[in-house]
Amino acid sequence: MQCRGPFAQRRHPLVDDAVVSGIQRCVDNGTQFRGDLLNFRKDGFPLMNRLHLTPIYGDDDIITHYMGIQFFTNANVDLGPVPGSVTREPVRSTRFAPDNFFRPITTGLEQDNFCREYSSLFQLTDEVLCQSILSRLSPRDVASVSSVCRRLYDLTKNEDLWRMVCRNAWGSETTRALETVPAAKRLGWGRLARELTTLEAVAWRKLTVGGAVEPSRCNFSACAVGNRVVLFGGEGVNMQPMNDTFVLDLNASNPEWRHVNVSSAPPGRWGHTLSCLNGSWLVVFGGCGRQGLLNDVFMLDLDAKHPTWREIPGVAPPVPRSWHSSCTLDGNKLVVSGGCADSGVLLSDTFLLDVSMDRPVWREVPASWTPPSRLGHSMSVYDGRKILMFGGLAKSGPLRLRSSDVFTMDLSEEEPCWRCLTGSGMPGAGNPAGAGPPPRLDHVAVSLPGGRVLIFGGSVAGLHSASQLYLLDPTEEKPTWRILNVPGRPPRFAWGHSTCVVGGTKAIVLGGQTGEEWMLTEVHELSLASSNSV
Amino acid sequence: MATREAGKKMIMLKSPDGMEFEVEEAVAMESQTIRKMIEDDCADTAILIPNINSKILSRVIEYCNKHVPTTGATGAAASDTVAPAALAEDLKIWDAEFIKVNRATRFNLIQAASYLNIKGLLDLTSQTTIDTISDNSLEEIRSFLSTKNDYLPEEEQTIRRENQWAFQ
Repeated sequence: MQCRGPFAQRRHPLVDDAVVSGIQRCVDNGTQFRGDLLNFRKDGFPLMNRLHLTPIYGDDDIITHYMGIQFFTNANVDLGPVPGSVTREPVRSTRFAPDNFFRPITTGLEQDNFCREYSSLFQLTDEVLCQSILSRLSPRDVASVSSVCRRLYDLTKNEDLWRMVCRNAWGSETTRALETVPAAKRLGWGRLARELTTLEAVAWRKLTVGGAVEPSRCNFSACAVGNRVVLFGGEGVNMQPMNDTFVLDLNASNPEWRHVNVSSAPPGRWGHTLSCLNGSWLVVFGGCGRQGLLNDVFMLDLDAKHPTWREIPGVAPPVPRSWHSSCTLDGNKLVVSGGCADSGVLLSDTFLLDVSMDRPVWREVPASWTPPSRLGHSMSVYDGRKILMFGGLAKSGPLRLRSSDVFTMDLSEEEPCWRCLTGSGMPGAGNPAGAGPPPRLDHVAVSLPGGRVLIFGGSVAGLHSASQLYLLDPTEEKPTWRILNVPGRPPRFAWGHSTCVVGGTKAIVLGGQTGEEWMLTEVHELSLASSNSV
Repeated sequence: MATREAGKKMIMLKSPDGMEFEVEEAVAMESQTIRKMIEDDCADTAILIPNINSKILSRVIEYCNKHVPTTGATGAAASDTVAPAALAEDLKIWDAEFIKVNRATRFNLIQAASYLNIKGLLDLTSQTTIDTISDNSLEEIRSFLSTKNDYLPEEEQTIRRENQWAFQ
């Protein structure tokens, strides 16, 4: 009834914040608590809840239990807006600070008590200060203000505050994804905010998983659903298009590839895209099938009791294609861009499909100017509804060249248009600032919290290493590429179609090569946060 | 939507210092707290707003009046003919004017917006403070918050080390 979390949104204003934070301190620091908390019966009638909380310590000085005693007395308070409570008699309530220091206070309705004027920000309650100010600062600023004074230090030690900071800074979708992996729980939101801001803990790790993806194949598509990696389709021997689905559950103690029985599988294909929407939905678009190029859409709810592929008949679909790029928006829209159409023509269009609609209609994003047509590029979403296109094999006059250009488009604008962010010799482009990645296609683009994009792998021009990491923050005033050097053994190859990001904290690169053989039991993991608690 | 003039439900908001404000229900419901009370049938025609004085409450009502998404109590002429983009632009200018208040009023508005749960007003009132904190040194933040450095020197060292990453 009282929503006792430190930042409960629906707490009655007459509930004493000091009592609530006293309870919180008891739980956090293991101190004793005694006090009176205003509470309400189901019918809204107020009552006083006298609480006594005592932590019980185990042998090794770790709290194992809390003992709580409570009893209720009628509360004689004027609740103002609630009808039926007309007494205006001030009520005396007693509260005990955790150190048992006795401080009787009046929670009556004397006007100056409830019409308090705030002449300094510091007179705001902890809750308001956290909710309206601190939670809206960037993770760096929150850490920095903790040096201002003790009160701010104490406030910034709160995990709930850090979760709000992460949610406000990175968006609720990113935070939700982080919640699905153990990292947030293990490290705590404060530490996670630090590591994902500084990228100090990024490291490569190699692991071997069990099971097998058979028959063996290449040019499949991989995608993460929670902490699971899903693989669909691909090109088998003699360019045979495949249509089977495999899952690698990284939550398992010994992860292994498992073939999933899914009814009504889509026609086999390779060079398609597989994206995850809305938690557990997988969406397949396009690719090359037995009869040539495709432009159909299939969806699968992986968590359904009997997972079944279902065709989504989108009206006015884009032309059939393969080696296009896809990303998802708002948890319900599939974005498809570029790719290769019949007879090898490169495309430059961008389409959107809202798959949550009953009769979804494809919508082409109208743009007066588009980046040169391309395939094998990457599309990332940042800052809510902005998309970022990087690299690919792009048309350049009569030639097709690997590209290192970055284009962005804000889809929340009424008339979205492409902008060139950095690149070589594009009209209107800034200089390729900083140490930019060499041109490439079918690379990996990892969206980091806060809008940054990490690029590596792919087919790289020249003799450059495919495993070098490059970082770009498109939200900066003058976006500059930065090289990120990380410890651990990187994979020799990393392809966009066989890499996916799990829970926002790990990029999983599938496949190692031994001669001609493509080994899917060999996995490299780029972890963005530390794997051990600090 | 209810009809324009007739049939508009009015709600009385009372501040603890005894002032009463009659506002349209739609305006009052810009506050999620009040909306909840009305939807849960917790509200009669009069609602006491327990911790916001009349000076601040009148400004809050002024804000809600301007931001209520209807044909508009403030400018009936403005909404039907003007494009949404222009309307948004107009609101932005109005907001910028509205927030030109002294610090104390702003803090009181933050408190009120937080209690009444009016997201737009909270965003508007807290942004200046957020910008100030983001853009200034620790000493400047202390003076802005009228607070002192209450750390012992060695404590300050430890905390500084702990949060070194923030200053990189």
